Amino acid sequence: MPRAMTPVERVTEAFGAAIAEVSAVQGTPMLRVEKEHVPVVAHYVHTHPELRGTLSLLWAMDHRPREARSELYYLFTLRERREWLLLRTELRGEDRLFRSITPHIHAAKWYEREIRDLFGLIPQGHPDLRRLVRHEHWPKGTHPLKKEFSWNTVLQRQQGEYRFRHIEGEGVFEVPVGPIHAGIIEPGHFRFSVAGEPIMQLELRHFWKHRGVEKLFEQQNLATAVPLAERVSGDTTIGHSLAYCQAVEALLGLEVPRRARYLRSLFLELERLHNHLGDVGAICNDTAYVLAHAHCGRMKERIMQLSDRLTGSRFLRGANQVGGVAVDLTGAQLAEVVTELDAIEPDFSELERILFANASLTDRLETTGVLKERTAWDHAVMGVVGKATGIDRDLRRDRPFAAYDELQVKVSVYRYGDVRARMRVRMDEIHESMRLIRDVRERIPQGPITAEPSGVPVAGDSRCEILRSCSGPRFSGRYWGTSSRTSR
Amino acid sequence: MFRIIKKSLKTGIVTGRHPAAGPTTQPVSPEAIEKAKPFRKSLTIREVDTGSCNACEMEMNALANSVYDVERFGIHVAASPRHADALVVTGPVTVNMARPLRDVYKATPGPKVVIALGDCAITCGMFAGSYAVTGPVDRHIPVDLRIPGCPPRPAEILNAINELRQDKPTRCEP
Repeated sequence: MPRAMTPVERVTEAFGAAIAEVSAVQGTPMLRVEKEHVPVVAHYVHTHPELRGTLSLLWAMDHRPREARSELYYLFTLRERREWLLLRTELRGEDRLFRSITPHIHAAKWYEREIRDLFGLIPQGHPDLRRLVRHEHWPKGTHPLKKEFSWNTVLQRQQGEYRFRHIEGEGVFEVPVGPIHAGIIEPGHFRFSVAGEPIMQLELRHFWKHRGVEKLFEQQNLATAVPLAERVSGDTTIGHSLAYCQAVEALLGLEVPRRARYLRSLFLELERLHNHLGDVGAICNDTAYVLAHAHCGRMKERIMQLSDRLTGSRFLRGANQVGGVAVDLTGAQLAEVVTELDAIEPDFSELERILFANASLTDRLETTGVLKERTAWDHAVMGVVGKATGIDRDLRRDRPFAAYDELQVKVSVYRYGDVRARMRVRMDEIHESMRLIRDVRERIPQGPITAEPSGVPVAGDSRCEILRSCSGPRFSGRYWGTSSRTSR
Repeated sequence: MFRIIKKSLKTGIVTGRHPAAGPTTQPVSPEAIEKAKPFRKSLTIREVDTGSCNACEMEMNALANSVYDVERFGIHVAASPRHADALVVTGPVTVNMARPLRDVYKATPGPKVVIALGDCAITCGMFAGSYAVTGPVDRHIPVDLRIPGCPPRPAEILNAINELRQDKPTRCEP
């Protein structure tokens, strides 16, 4: 029987001349594609029945002042074996144009708009080139992630207008909401065009809270940027800091001790627990079942107080550090965690039974907000929403990090894609997280909790690149790191 | 129905089951206490996020859960600034949120108090100097009460707000 072709062989066979170079970044195959061929190659990777890659991330890099070129990276996750495939293309010199892949791949839409805003590179053929990050009052020509742009520039205001799309017709109303809107929640502007109940169009306007985090990262050095990573998103403190730490560790060639890896898994699962408990409560609250919200809020609070007792922060801040963890847990503390979970789990199971016995609640959850698998696929949906739509992916299982290579993660997948399915995924994950934490306690080895930083990148040449990922409760994060000896 | 009642009875009262907060680190000024006088019995809050990481929002949400239960102190959260007595602002004020913040301040009827919640709202925290951040909240609107922390614990927020609404100041600025 002939050996099955690898994804790289398939692409190189189909596009021989268009592929300029084949290499690998820490095990992930990377193909350099000439820029005019990117849309066809991307389309091939996206649609070929053996590959079926979804665009997981698209990002750019400005190599100035060292080299006069910019680069674009397209990260695809392939369907069958959940492998990664990285496409890379170069814009040499003052070239600012690249070809948009959005007409074929919906998921690229916001990435390309963001690259245009932040790097000033223009995706040709993009169907919507309105500003995304830069609101209308930002001066023309402001592209913060270009290297010549100074991080502490004071922006001037200019006059401008964001053009919303309008739907006109009899009985069509436009309902603007936000940016400051009901609830204790972050700002966002939503413009609904409605004809009675059905929503005909929704225009989103976001990035109200753009703080320039990427640029701030450039000002930090590798070891000290962890607090900044923790503050990218408050509820995913461990998720972001872990992804960041893993990226830095790969750059420095640090081997994280096993005990630290177990503790990282434990912290990540604690974070998942409080997020999911909060979310299950919020879904019930939004469907007017306040009782369940009260119970979930109470259980979530117990997890937050437990985190506070363990690490001195209700959000587990300061728990991660480059090379390992900063907080070690004693045997008594681990026992306390498990005792607490032993109390919460039956409590939560009881609540689940009450929820699903309530017809007026389940009636509001079932067949509500259905996301079809095809739509989810087109938009490269991941995480809880993806799992509720039948997309069986979980980085903890597919690309194990922390201690997940030794802990078996059971991924729950539902097919219906409605609110009920999304709630079920969260509920299953709550039980799974508790099981994992118990597992951590059983298996955790003794030993050091941090590796000593050596301070020198391992790569032989002066530059090295890495890609590290981590799956938190609300995101699946990837940090791309490049470091050179001259830069920080 | 029986199941629900049984669950409630089994759970009992959880209000107040949290570690006590330490003393407030930022003293409350007598002027702010004077200004908050009309709100001693009832205070309606509008929360405005101007670029926080959402941790402060989560702690504000936690205030409403049955453990902290702020409603017992007559504190409510309103959906619109027009119904609010107090604005709680979190986060360094980003370039994109500077104007909405001023608008929301104008839309809030007087008398009103402004509370800056969290280190970012008070000093911009780690985001100070960034091109996308304009400065702390008091650069844009007058601030009456500052609650530091990253993020402050719910019990600390509650303490600070209660101190603001007391009859007599326990401590004065030197």
